[in-house]
Amino acid sequence: MKKAIRTLLATSILAASLPVAAETKVGFIYVGPKTDYGYNYAQDQGRLYLEEHLDDVETVYFENIPENADVQRVMERMVRSGVEVVFPTSYGYLDHALKVAEKYPEVHFAHSGGLKTSDNLMTYFAEIDQAMYLSGVAAGLTTETNQLGFIAAHPIPQVLRNINAFTRGARSVNPDVTTSVIWTSSWSDPTKEAEAAEALISDGADVLTGHVDSPINYVQVAERRGVYSVGYHADASQFAPEGWLVGAVWNWGPMMVDIVNSAQDGTWKSEHLRGDLLTGAARLSDFGSAVSEEDQQTVLDRQQAIMDEEFRVWAGPVVAQDGTVLVAEGDVMTLEETEKMDFLVEGVEGRLK
Amino acid sequence: MTTITQPFVRFGLRLLGGPTGAVLVMTATFVVAALAFFAINGRESIPLFQEMVMGAFGDSYSFSETLVKTAPILLTALAVALPARLGLISVGGEGQLYLGALFGTGAVLAAVDQPGWLLMPLMLAGAMAGGALWGVIPGLLKTRLGVNETISTLLLNYVGVLLVSFVVHGPWKNPNSLGWPATIEFPEGAILPQFFDTRVHMGLVFGVVAAIVLHILVTRSRWGLGLQVSRSNPRVGATAGISYERNVLIVMAVGGLLAGLAGIAEASVIQNRLQDGLASGYGMTGFLVAWLAGQHFLRIIPLSVLMGGLLASADSLQLYAQLPKASADILQALLFIIVLAVASLWARRREA
Amino acid sequence: MESFITELLTLLFAALRSATPVLAVVLGEAMTQRSGVINLGVEGQMLLGAMTGFAVASVTGDPWLGVLAACGAGTALSMVHATLVLGCGANQIASGVAVLILGGGLSAYYGIPFVGDKIDTLGNLNQTFVSDIPLLGQFLGPITPTVLITLLAIPAISIFLFRTRLGLRWRSTGESQDITRNLGHNPVPYQLAAIAFGGLMSGFAGAALAVDYTANWVEGMTAGRGLVAVGLVIVARWNPWYALPAALLFGASEALNLKLQSWGVDISPYLLATLPYLIPLSVLMLSYRGLRASGGGMPAGLRVVFQSAR
Repeated sequence: MKKAIRTLLATSILAASLPVAAETKVGFIYVGPKTDYGYNYAQDQGRLYLEEHLDDVETVYFENIPENADVQRVMERMVRSGVEVVFPTSYGYLDHALKVAEKYPEVHFAHSGGLKTSDNLMTYFAEIDQAMYLSGVAAGLTTETNQLGFIAAHPIPQVLRNINAFTRGARSVNPDVTTSVIWTSSWSDPTKEAEAAEALISDGADVLTGHVDSPINYVQVAERRGVYSVGYHADASQFAPEGWLVGAVWNWGPMMVDIVNSAQDGTWKSEHLRGDLLTGAARLSDFGSAVSEEDQQTVLDRQQAIMDEEFRVWAGPVVAQDGTVLVAEGDVMTLEETEKMDFLVEGVEGRLK
Repeated sequence: MTTITQPFVRFGLRLLGGPTGAVLVMTATFVVAALAFFAINGRESIPLFQEMVMGAFGDSYSFSETLVKTAPILLTALAVALPARLGLISVGGEGQLYLGALFGTGAVLAAVDQPGWLLMPLMLAGAMAGGALWGVIPGLLKTRLGVNETISTLLLNYVGVLLVSFVVHGPWKNPNSLGWPATIEFPEGAILPQFFDTRVHMGLVFGVVAAIVLHILVTRSRWGLGLQVSRSNPRVGATAGISYERNVLIVMAVGGLLAGLAGIAEASVIQNRLQDGLASGYGMTGFLVAWLAGQHFLRIIPLSVLMGGLLASADSLQLYAQLPKASADILQALLFIIVLAVASLWARRREA
Repeated sequence: MESFITELLTLLFAALRSATPVLAVVLGEAMTQRSGVINLGVEGQMLLGAMTGFAVASVTGDPWLGVLAACGAGTALSMVHATLVLGCGANQIASGVAVLILGGGLSAYYGIPFVGDKIDTLGNLNQTFVSDIPLLGQFLGPITPTVLITLLAIPAISIFLFRTRLGLRWRSTGESQDITRNLGHNPVPYQLAAIAFGGLMSGFAGAALAVDYTANWVEGMTAGRGLVAVGLVIVARWNPWYALPAALLFGASEALNLKLQSWGVDISPYLLATLPYLIPLSVLMLSYRGLRASGGGMPAGLRVVFQSAR
């Protein structure tokens, strides 16, 4: 039986290509389907980029692995089958990954979005809220009703950051804007997302965005109802030829190449690696025709200011929903403070939890 | 030759005509179906099937992980099988599991500073109370208002999952969890014992013991006899002093209690805290196993191990063949369909 | 006052939108149960219908072909239930669960290549005269064909069931197979047709979700609505006319969950999200008390299923 396994492995390696050097096996674990046209899709695009750009790398992946008993077993199996670099791509995998990392010190782990490290576990993420801020600027310039709608899954820091950044961006160019938030309590429930979009539009929102698994549902409803939309996770402009403004999208590939390279050549660092607009790990998508040339320029100027570090999204004053000043003028929130964000800013209408 | 072998042949035939034959036919059909499924999807069937078997039972690690999966399946299957003894069709294992985790965690949070000898029993008591509550409610709805228990347990599953989401995102969220929706980590005293440096935990022991005790109670005790009478004719039972209503509440409560234990075991041992996504469909799998076992408590034990193995070994499908996760669901469904078909046909043949 | 009426109408039509797929399933499942067969597999049939409908709409470019294909897929999968229940005599609840898991698995597996596709929708009434009706026009305009078809199915089913000879036999099959046999009719073809019709309606419901309402395919996109629909059949007392309020109740509580948030009600969204499950349960509790003696209208043949859980 062992022999049969070896033959199977050998044939699959041979089929892949004729490797010159020993292949590094890289494993990915996704919390949802890799074809969700959202978060997991973006991570998987990174995996494909890795395969395309590094000749000596072979990848395997697991999809639909919940953040429970399953993930630790899956990581162990990966390691036992020879995977040397593991990408646990969901936040809730962190503690499970730390446990497996401790057991296998020679294997490298790169966790997406966590705030804990160990000797062989680093974290990577991208400050996509910068792109959400810029999308907010575009929304603030475009809206006629001064009401924006945000369809959100769960009140976790990554989502709160995006709601707040989007709102701050919009209010930076249009102080009268408010953002209404509806929680769907699920990462993926197309019916609920569509109905939430309808509810927001009927209440007067004329720009919709969201943070759920896939932007397709709310973007399509917005288009059908003749309002504007801002995407998230993946470019959904083809679903809204009329109303698409812009969107915030991931680009994990180059970052993942760096991580795997560092594991291969021994320069691996146990750190919090964070990409941003400048490194290109988080990007602004192309603009839709609904954004005027002038407004596009305003957004791009602001983008330049962020890249030049002249402007920071989380520079004070940051004011909470109830008017409390959380960050005073002149102060800037640290990485850790933004990554554990647990408040909604002034201008957001909706419950926190 | 004929005279010597004839009794053996006859014995063999009789064996094949009975349950053993049915099991053989089921196994063979399932293996063929699985191989065909792999082949249709362009995979090398036999090595992949071997890989799956290895992934479930091939080495001590794989087997230990199979047992980790087994524990919640076993307990939720019992939560279905016990009410079925009274003719009740409960599909509420998932919700009861979540409620057990919820109440058990509540007990841990309330008594977090207490020593382990006090904390652990409190946690388990809380879990049992929570699971039992989610069993008693449909029981009461059934006996008092005549609400169909299948429907009420079904609806309450969704409520149970949402209640856990509510507490971990809201009142019970650990303020130091960096914003992540989860309770504080359980203290040492609230972690159920594990065995041999694996993740196999007390939950499995609870399940096996419960299955044996239930089997004895139902087959040997007065109460068990009462269940049978009550089930076949509640009115006859009532004249003999057996209250159908009370028995409904008892079986629903005890079933829920067991599923509740599964919930707290997952939270305590696997997650070390309460958070979303505690279990993924254990309730439905448990339901399946209970039916595969014909609601027979002892048969549930090996079948839970097999089902745990099937689910745990489905990793191989992704790892070696890059088949999507859904292929495990398809195999699970095929297995269930085959077992149902063969078992029903066998039963019909025996009647005929 | 006018704004209040507008809000109310908004909620009503939102309820109708979310209720439509559920209503289609309730109608089909009520017909199935009328023949004495329960099918929990409708959730899986919905999913397979949604996936197939979306895939066909995407490949052919014709959403109506997608709807047809969805009906076909739902029917085909329901035949697994028919084979197990009618052919092998397997327990109906257990068989339904098997179909549920199979439909979920197959749809997720074979739906992968179609994720992220863009399909044409079935359109709506906006281009017709109804959008010119004052006040109501803005609500009637966005109504889509699957909503209309589902609504029209109510009287059609009702006439069939209560006004035709075939409908009478259909119902009597559900009440007692023995009587049907004694009358010289074989109950099996009726039950087969009943399961197939349930399959057709659940496949159609999948199309209503994936082809019409969201124009999107995501695995597991029904999120339990098929299962809830089986429960709503009891709320509707197996009557096609009552299916409408029962499904609307679910749709309204779903819409209300979101609407209450946008109105700024200070309750956790997780607790609000329990409404679509707790409200139908409450209705069952309230309605059962008076109806207990009559069994709530449950076909007698079906009661047998629930009393023989082995």
